[in-house]
Amino acid sequence: MLSPSFHNDAAPPVNDPGHVVIVGAGIVGISAAFFLSRRGVQVTVLEAAAPAAGASGASDGAVSVASKRPGLMMQLGLAGIATYRALASGGVLAGEFRERPTFIVASNAAEAEVLAEHAAALAGAGVTVRLLARAEITGLLPMVSEEVVAVARVEGEGHAIGYRVVERLARAGRFTLRRSAPVDGFVRDKTGRVTAVSTGQGGLIAADAVLVAAGNGSERLLGLSGALIPRKGQLLLTERAAGRLGAPAGPLMSSRYLLSKGAAKGGPADAARSFGLVIDPLATGQFLIGGTREDGVTNTHNDLAAVRHILREAVTLMPDLARLRLLRAFSGIRTATVDRLPIVGAVPGAENLFVATGFEGDGICLGPFMGELVHRLICGEPAAVDINALSPARFTPRAA
Amino acid sequence: MTEWKSMDIDLLVVGGGPAGMAAAVEARQAGLQVLLVDQRERLGGAIYCQPDPGCAPVAMSARHRARWQALSREFAASGAAVEFHTSFAGLDSEGLALLERRASAGEAGRVLPVRARAVVLAVGAVERIAPLPGWELPGVMSAGGLQMMMKRRGAVPVGRTLLAGSGPLLLAVASQMVALGQPPVAIIERARPFGQPAELLKLLATPGYLREALAILARLHKARVPVLHATQLTSIRLAAGGGLEVECRGQGDERRFSVDRVALHDGIRPNDFGLPGGAATGGPVLSRAGDCREALGAVAAIEDGKRAGREAARMLGLKLPAMSLQPVKRERRAQAVLARLFSPALTTPPADLPDETVICRCENRTAGDLRGLLAGHDGLSAREVKLNGRFAMGSCQGRFCADATVDFLRRCGAGAEALEASHLTGRRWPVRPVGIATLLAEGGAAADPASVIRIEEE
Amino acid sequence: MSASFFFWRGEKLEFQPGQTVALALEAAGQRDFGPSATGLRQRYFCGIGACQGCLVRIDDTVVEACLRPVEAGIRVEPLVAGPSVDTDGGRHD
Ligand SMILES: Cc1cc2nc3c(=O)[nH]c(=O)nc-3n(C[C@H](O)[C@H](O)[C@H](O)COP(=O)(O)OP(=O)(O)OC[C@H]3O[C@@H](n4cnc5c(N)ncnc54)[C@H](O)[C@@H]3O)c2cc1C
Ligand SMILES: Cc1cc2nc3c(=O)[nH]c(=O)nc-3n(C[C@H](O)[C@H](O)[C@H](O)COP(=O)(O)OP(=O)(O)OC[C@H]3O[C@@H](n4cnc5c(N)ncnc54)[C@H](O)[C@@H]3O)c2cc1C
Ligand code: FES
Repeated sequence: MLSPSFHNDAAPPVNDPGHVVIVGAGIVGISAAFFLSRRGVQVTVLEAAAPAAGASGASDGAVSVASKRPGLMMQLGLAGIATYRALASGGVLAGEFRERPTFIVASNAAEAEVLAEHAAALAGAGVTVRLLARAEITGLLPMVSEEVVAVARVEGEGHAIGYRVVERLARAGRFTLRRSAPVDGFVRDKTGRVTAVSTGQGGLIAADAVLVAAGNGSERLLGLSGALIPRKGQLLLTERAAGRLGAPAGPLMSSRYLLSKGAAKGGPADAARSFGLVIDPLATGQFLIGGTREDGVTNTHNDLAAVRHILREAVTLMPDLARLRLLRAFSGIRTATVDRLPIVGAVPGAENLFVATGFEGDGICLGPFMGELVHRLICGEPAAVDINALSPARFTPRAA
Repeated sequence: MTEWKSMDIDLLVVGGGPAGMAAAVEARQAGLQVLLVDQRERLGGAIYCQPDPGCAPVAMSARHRARWQALSREFAASGAAVEFHTSFAGLDSEGLALLERRASAGEAGRVLPVRARAVVLAVGAVERIAPLPGWELPGVMSAGGLQMMMKRRGAVPVGRTLLAGSGPLLLAVASQMVALGQPPVAIIERARPFGQPAELLKLLATPGYLREALAILARLHKARVPVLHATQLTSIRLAAGGGLEVECRGQGDERRFSVDRVALHDGIRPNDFGLPGGAATGGPVLSRAGDCREALGAVAAIEDGKRAGREAARMLGLKLPAMSLQPVKRERRAQAVLARLFSPALTTPPADLPDETVICRCENRTAGDLRGLLAGHDGLSAREVKLNGRFAMGSCQGRFCADATVDFLRRCGAGAEALEASHLTGRRWPVRPVGIATLLAEGGAAADPASVIRIEEE
Repeated sequence: MSASFFFWRGEKLEFQPGQTVALALEAAGQRDFGPSATGLRQRYFCGIGACQGCLVRIDDTVVEACLRPVEAGIRVEPLVAGPSVDTDGGRHD
C-alpha cells in the first residue's frame, strides 16, 4: 500500500505547490512539513504555543494496531507502523522507534473470550498474534499477577515518543517554524482560495496552500462545528525502576482497553469518563501508565480519584509497581471526531486548503504516515491509501 | 476528638517553620480550626531546627532565641493540631489537599485527602546552587544541608570543610562551626561585600542585622578563618585518598584545597516548585507565607505568617482588620541591601561552564547536553528544553536545576518566551514523588485508629 | 544512651535514636549512598527533602534518607542494587 521507496523520495514535485503554511506543530503538522521541505517545497509552520504543546507532547507512544478492528483504521495503522520502520532505517528516526510486541491481557473468563475473538480478528487482518498458554505467561511475563488468565502477544509493533519525533523531524526538515504564532483566520479570494493566513500578532502571511493540523484548534479555524470532541486522557509516570523490578518486553494492555476504546463490539465507549489500562515500560526504566478518556474535558489537571483508579488497576495487573514512586501525573487532550474517523483531505470550497486532524488516540502511530500522505495531496499527487472516507466534506456544507 | 475524615478543616497550614507556626497561631486567635503538618518530626523549620534527642542545641543569637521561645510558646498554647511526618503532596483538581503520612518501620505510608476551607503553604526556601564541575559528588553538600546537620547533631561533621559560593549564610555557617570548635578551612566568596561602603552603611537602618553581622565577623576573625573574596570554585574532583581536590580562581591567582567536604551556597529562593497557583473551583482559599512566598528571612517569615493566618480568616468571612505589611517591607529592604553586598564580583556565566558540568543531577544532564540541544535552534521554549533535554524532568522536579537551566538559556539568547524556572517545573501534583503503595493506601481505612489525624473540637 | 543498630548494605551500624537515616550514615562515615539511577552517586546534599540526592531503599521502597528517622533493625539499601544501570541519562523516554 505504501510505495516502498517513499522515504527516499526527495525529488521536487512536478507541480510545486508554492509556499505552504501549516497551522499546528504537533506530530501531524511537523511530519507534513518534513516531507514537503524534503522535496524542496517552501514551508512555514505556525504554532500557537510550542512544538508538541498539544496532544503530541502529552501522550503515550504506542505505534500499534493491537487494539484495532479490521477496517480502514487498521489499514492506516499498519501503514503508520511501516512508515516508522522506514524512517528509522532511513536515519531520520533512528533510535527513536523501538520495535516491540504488545501484550493484551485478560483477567477473567469474560475478558479472555473477548480477547480470543479479538486475536482472531487481528490474525485475519494479517497481524502476527499468538495467544500464550498459562505456563508461557509465567515464563514470559513473570511480573504479571496470577489472576491473568490469557495473554495475546501481538508482533510487529513499536513505540515512539511524540515529542521526540516532533523534535527529530523539525531538526531534519528545512522549514521555518514560528512559535507563539496562533492563527486566527484565513484571507480568501473570490473563488474561495486561501491567499493568506492571519496571525494574532504578526498580521498576514501569504500562502499558496494551507494545511490545518491544529488538533482541537482546527474546529474553530475551519468551522467544523460539532465534528470534533476534545477527549482528555490522564497519564501517570513512575520514577526509574533502576533494575529493581522486571519490565515486560512491551506494554501490558488490559483487554478492557478494547472496550474503552470502542474497538470491540458493545464497549461502553460513549461513557463520559472511561478507563483503559496500559502499562508501558519506557527505555529509561520508567513506566508510563494510562489512562482515562474524558469527553468534552479540556483541562489538563489530575484528580486523586482517577489517579487512584488507574494505579489500583495497574497494581492489580503488575503488583511490583506498588514499590515505585509516582513521579508525575499529567493529561493530554486527544482530538476525537463524532464518527470516530480522522478528518483528512481538501476542504470543500477552497481547493488549496487542507486539513489533517481527529486522530484521537492514534496520532502518534499515524502522524508520520499522515504527514507523508497529506504532503502528496498538497503536491497534487495520488495518495497511497484511499482516504475518501476521511474527507472533511462529511462535515462541511459543500457550498462553504 | 473526631477523626479528620469526618471534619471540615477550616485551615490547613503546610510547614512548621516560623511562617507556618505564626499563621497557625494567628488563625487560631481568629477562631479557626487549624491543622498544621510538617514532613519532619518537629517544629522549627530551617532557622529554628531543633537538635536530635540527646544533642546540644547550636548557639543562636539572643534576638533569635527570644523570638523562637515566644513563637513556640504561643503555638503550644494556640490549640492548633499538628501532624508530623506528614508532607503535602499537592492539591488535586477537585480541591483536595493530599497529605502523605510518611512510612515508618511500624506503619505503611498513606495519603490522606483533606478538605480544607483554606490552605496556607509555608514550605520555606531552597538554596540556589550554581553548578560547577564536581558539585554532584559525595562529600559536596549545600551549606544549608551542612547547617541542618550541625543543628540536629550539635556538632560539626568530622574532617576539613570548605565553604564556597556566595551570601551571608556562608558566614553564619562558618561562625557556627567556629562556635562548635571546628572552623572551616576557608570561605570562598564570589562577591566583594566590603567593596561597597555606601551599601554597608545602609545596614545601620537595621541594627539587628548589623549586630549579628559584626558578631559573626569578629568570631571568624578571632578564629583566623580565611575569607577569600572575589574568588570562586572552578572544579571539585575526587582525590585518590577519598577526599576532594578543589580548585578556585580569584583575582588573577589560582588556589587548590584538599578537603573532606565542600559546602556550597549561592543564596536562597522560594521553595514554590510545583505548588498550586490558583484555587481549584470549589477548592480551598490558597495562599503562601514566609520564605516560600518571598525569601526574606526569619523575621519576615513570622510577620508574613501572621498576615497569612489573618488573611485566611478574613477570606473565610471573619470580620477582622487586615494586617500591616510594614514589618515585611522593612525586612525586604534589609534583604535587598544584603543582596547588593553579595552581588557577585565574579561568576562563570553558566554558558561558559565546561561541557561535563552536571546541570540536572537527577537525570544526569550536562552543560554539554544543553549546548547540543540549543545548537541550531532559535527560541526554544521551556517545554522543549524539558521534554527533549530532560532538564527539570527528574525526581527533584527542577528544584536544583531549573534556575541554572533558565539562566543558561537566557544568556545564550534562547527562548521565544520570557523564561522562568516555573515554566520548566510546572504546577503539578505530586509536588514530590509519592510511593504508589502510599497513594493507594487510603487514609480512611487506617488499621490503627491512633494514627488517624484527629482534631480537637471546640 | 544505649546503642541501637540498623543495617546498611547488610552491615550493622550504630545510631542515636531520633537521628535521620542520612545523618546516621554520615556519622558512620558513609557518605556515598551508592549509584543513582542515571550513573551518578547518591549522597546527602540539601537536608530538607528537596534535592532527592539522598534516596535510599528501605523495605524496598524509595525514601529520602534525610527525612526518614532511623529505627532499630531497619535494613537500608542503596537506591540501585549493584552497578548502576542506564548510565546514559540521555536515552529519552
Ligand atoms: C493521554 C493520551 C495518550 C495517547 N496515547 C497514544 C498512543 O499510545 N499512540 C498513539 O498513536 N497516539 C496516542 N495518543 C494520541 C496522539 O497523541 C494524538 O493523536 C496526536 O498527538 C495528535 O497530533 P496532532 O499533530 O494532530 O495534534 P496536536 O499534537 O494536538 O497538535 C496540534 C497543535 O496545533 C496547535 N494549534 C492549535 N490551534 C492553533 C492555531 N489556531 N494556530 C496555531 N497553532 C494551533 C496546538 O498548539 C498544537 O501544538 C494519545 C493521546 C493522549 C492525550
Ligand atoms: C538551608 C537554609 C538555612 C537557613 N539559615 C538561616 C539562618 O541561619 N538565619 C536566618 O536568618 N535565616 C536562615 N534561613 C532563612 C530561613 O529559611 C528563614 O529565616 C525562615 O526559616 C523561613 O521560615 P519559613 O517558615 O518560611 O520556612 P522554613 O523555616 O524553611 O519552614 C518550612 C517548613 O516546611 C516543611 N516542609 C517543606 N516542604 C514540605 C511539604 N511538602 N510538606 C510538609 N512540610 C514541608 C519543612 O520541613 C519546614 O519545617 C535559611 C534558609 C535555608 C533554606
Ligand atoms: S539531602 Fe536532599 S533530599 Fe535528602
